[in-house]
Amino acid sequence: MNRSYYWLVFAISIPAFLWLVPTIWMVSLSFQPNDVLARTTSTTGLGLIPIPFTPDNYIALFQFGQVPMWFFNSLIVSAGMTLAVLAVSTTAGYALARLDFPMKGPIVVLCLIGLMVPEQAVFIPLYTMFADWGWHNSYHALIMPRVAVPIGVFLMMQFFKAVPRDIEEAARIDGVGWLQIFWYVMLPLARPAMMTLAILTFLYAWNDYLWPLVSAQQREFFTITLGLASIQSNFAQAEGLGRVMASGVIASLPVVVLFLIFQRYVVRAMTAGGTKG
Amino acid sequence: MPQHQAKRLALSQRQAALILLLPFMVVYGLFLVYPFFNGVWISLHDWNLMAVAFNPDAKAFVGLQNYERVMWGRNITWGAFASPALQVIGLLGMLASFLLYRSGRAGRVTAIAMGLAALLLFVLPGFHPGEGGRWYDRRFWPTVGNTILFVGLAVPGVTITAMLLAAALNGETRAKAVLRTLFFLSQVLSVTVVTLIWQIMFSPRQGLLANVTELLGGSPIVWLTAEGFAMAAIVIATIWWSLGIAMILFLAGLQDISQDLYEAGALDNATGAKAFWYITLPNLKRTITVVVVLQIILHFQVFGQSHLMTNGGPNDTTQVLVRYIYQTAFRDSELGRASAMAVFLFVIMGAFSILQFVLGREKDE
Repeated sequence: MNRSYYWLVFAISIPAFLWLVPTIWMVSLSFQPNDVLARTTSTTGLGLIPIPFTPDNYIALFQFGQVPMWFFNSLIVSAGMTLAVLAVSTTAGYALARLDFPMKGPIVVLCLIGLMVPEQAVFIPLYTMFADWGWHNSYHALIMPRVAVPIGVFLMMQFFKAVPRDIEEAARIDGVGWLQIFWYVMLPLARPAMMTLAILTFLYAWNDYLWPLVSAQQREFFTITLGLASIQSNFAQAEGLGRVMASGVIASLPVVVLFLIFQRYVVRAMTAGGTKG
Repeated sequence: MPQHQAKRLALSQRQAALILLLPFMVVYGLFLVYPFFNGVWISLHDWNLMAVAFNPDAKAFVGLQNYERVMWGRNITWGAFASPALQVIGLLGMLASFLLYRSGRAGRVTAIAMGLAALLLFVLPGFHPGEGGRWYDRRFWPTVGNTILFVGLAVPGVTITAMLLAAALNGETRAKAVLRTLFFLSQVLSVTVVTLIWQIMFSPRQGLLANVTELLGGSPIVWLTAEGFAMAAIVIATIWWSLGIAMILFLAGLQDISQDLYEAGALDNATGAKAFWYITLPNLKRTITVVVVLQIILHFQVFGQSHLMTNGGPNDTTQVLVRYIYQTAFRDSELGRASAMAVFLFVIMGAFSILQFVLGREKDE
């Protein structure tokens, strides 16, 4: 801890603050009255300090408007997708990592190829398929396409491969069946990996924009991410700048809180998702 | 549990595997494998979204015609210097990748990938409509060009910023951890929040940037509707948004560099910037390649920034490939042509994914 260290920290604090400015600005604008913002956004300290202060934007958001409903939709879709992904990924990941069965190699390769298919390469056929089934404007239509992405299977497979074999073998000698080993022995061990996968999936579900834009045409089935996109094009006129910014803050709150609490897992999840999917 | 009873109830390994694998394989087949092939099939048809919705037989098999209508034109010729700037860069790139490989500054896979990219840069811009000819789809190649320009600006921007930050913030102290958190924070926001913030940041009437410019006595730039500035604006927003993952990957790469190297370097008076140039950079080569490939894959799929901040404008200068696919499919109802473009996108993404996979394998060995 010498002088050059403090200089370094000080020097980087300036860009770090600038990096935060856009976020601070959103929060600050969300606490200012719309009629003032309609005249100027340069209120106190370039608008970075919320004076004049008002909580009205948030109150209005929860009284009228569809933001609470979109928020609720996002919660259901994100939670549902997370549970579904965990269910299919842990089971398939365990089978591919630890069990012997015919055609195992080709199945692993088939899944690996699936990692290369981007969402944009399948969203048109998915759209026509769901249209034929009458699935659009439903929660399962928003959830299912992501459950098919094999990234979770790979994360879990890699985890299970690293678990020492003797734990399983001890249980086998005692005559415990494979499904019981999976459920009672392996799953409890896999909690950290499942946590990483859960956060990766939740963030993806909460932030996904393209597929909800295509699939959810009725406003009642918008997610908050999609809803926010639908009100930002005419923000100044219809809703008032402060209220749109308040919607943005509400839309970000769950992911930011998740990040601040589980920072380690979030970082791990996002880098795992980035490098492998 | 008595032994004989367990044996009777227990499933064989194959049965257990079947039960455990089946849920995923069904979902995978139904919502990824089948749609993928279905997408290729749609791309071989003249398929109008509305017409087929009302009458499932209103589609016609046209073979590769959609691909021709999207990517080709009448009287297309190739010239070595049809688009000199890009093609010269391509030639120089091929030379550079060869020299980098020979001098040992780049690994084989990196050199081959760079060389191939440079070769494509030399060959592809050479195609142009000859006399009396024209592209069948005037917007497709410019859109691909915009996407490549976006990637070409965003990827170096993110990579260099992230690398410098990681080098400065590598360490176990509390202050550095807090600073890392601040820089990573924007990464968890959704694309619509990011575009919401930056749309208003860039607004010439209400924007923070305009407020600052006015305070300094200048006249605000009309960022999002001015040609030349619009692409810069979405690149800035993107760098702000997606710096975090790159920074974390660089931090992981820095952890792998042995401290002994720096101590040895310090004996030779290599500290600070010198140490970064001669010790950190050469040892980060692999991480840099991984980050660059990852970012290319990520940013080639750009959609929200263009769709929400600039609507592809002004004058199509920020129109990107995914947005063009989206519009062709869902605004113009031309599913056949849109699917052909989606297959094109898949081929490019697939090439980079294979590269990423090969690089990952190299590391494991």
